[in-house]
Amino acid sequence: MAVVHLPGTLAAEAGGQKRFELEADTVGEALRQLPMANLLFDEEGELRRLINVYVDGVDARGGRLLEESLSERSEVRVVGAVAGGS
Amino acid sequence: MAVLLPVGTRKGLFLLRSNGGWEVEGPLLSGWSVYHAIVDPRDGTLYAATNNPFYGATVHRSSDLGKSWERAEEIGLPEDSGLKLNATWHIEPGKDSELWLGGDPGVLFRSDDGGLTWEVNRGLLEHPTRERWQPGAGGMCCHSIQLVNGTMYIAISAAGSFRSQDGGETWQPINKDVAADFHPETYPEVGQCVHKLLSHPAKPDRLWQQNHCGVYRSDDRGDNWDRLDGNGLPSGFGFGLALDPDDPDVAYVIPEESQEYHYTAEGRLGVYRTADGGASWELAANGLPERAWAAVLREGCTFDRGAVYFGTQSGSVWTAPQGAANWTEAVRDLPPILSVEAADV
Repeated sequence: MAVVHLPGTLAAEAGGQKRFELEADTVGEALRQLPMANLLFDEEGELRRLINVYVDGVDARGGRLLEESLSERSEVRVVGAVAGGS
Repeated sequence: MAVLLPVGTRKGLFLLRSNGGWEVEGPLLSGWSVYHAIVDPRDGTLYAATNNPFYGATVHRSSDLGKSWERAEEIGLPEDSGLKLNATWHIEPGKDSELWLGGDPGVLFRSDDGGLTWEVNRGLLEHPTRERWQPGAGGMCCHSIQLVNGTMYIAISAAGSFRSQDGGETWQPINKDVAADFHPETYPEVGQCVHKLLSHPAKPDRLWQQNHCGVYRSDDRGDNWDRLDGNGLPSGFGFGLALDPDDPDVAYVIPEESQEYHYTAEGRLGVYRTADGGASWELAANGLPERAWAAVLREGCTFDRGAVYFGTQSGSVWTAPQGAANWTEAVRDLPPILSVEAADV
């Protein structure tokens, strides 16, 4: 059972829930189960450009991203790209 | 009946309620930039055009004035268009159950289920002049939607104004004699940078337009336009535009120094009012700061039968009774204000 952690704005869109336990073999499978998944993916089904995903502390963009495999104990963190100024 | 001002900011939505003074509630929808918010006069539903740099563009709605929210299902553009939705900009109630949504890149959507699902308007998406449109500084936003006796008007920066007489099936450019000083042709068919377009509630053939290149009035539904700056206005550039529902000759604008500087003209926060259809303009700034370099965005100015309202990027909301004899600061120090609307509740 992988665990997905959401930042505040996304959690608010998921009824206030910040932590989800999900049955999923890959990052993509996990993210698409979330109730606010349409905020993560654009109209072509691509992960939005400024969303980062970390699996067990490692940036999934450096790996296979949505195809990255998850284990029973994987911790997935969704994080807005670090960008300052506004 | 009290007045409610939904005030959209870069950091969420604030609700201002008149109760002798102004009571402030918010921020609601934290984390979202609220480009525009309205209370639908048909059923009291609060709608917000919401945008987030990470999570995209959408619409939120609340049937209990902000206590709880629902988000629209996916709003997107068809794959065959090759376009992606960049932002949601303006929400306008239509006839019967219609709700219209303007967005970037120069797109229009219609909802018939209270904003839950949205269908793109193909007539505008596939407009034969689209390749001649270009984005302004705020993107290629469809920011003005007006529905008058079966006629629709929209305005896009920088594509110009368009009119539809068949419910949005087809769109006719209505930009004759409207300047586009930045364009290779000064008066092209399309490509004008409209900043705000309004129709007069009591005189439906009359349109007002605050443009990148001047202030304009049309008395024939946009077939012809008269340029109105240069007769009392310190600048033809600006964004905010307001009217008086009881007098079609009255309009208010808030001139800015230039297209390069985007702050209020002559170093003061000045509202200019015409009472003769734009033949002359007078400064109506009693109560406003005499030294200010403020900015009011295109959705940041509105009106009702009793008053005119505007919000600044420096976080103040100002109100004055129609006539603008005296301005009062309703609230200050909000986040940068993107939009102000007024509703009776």
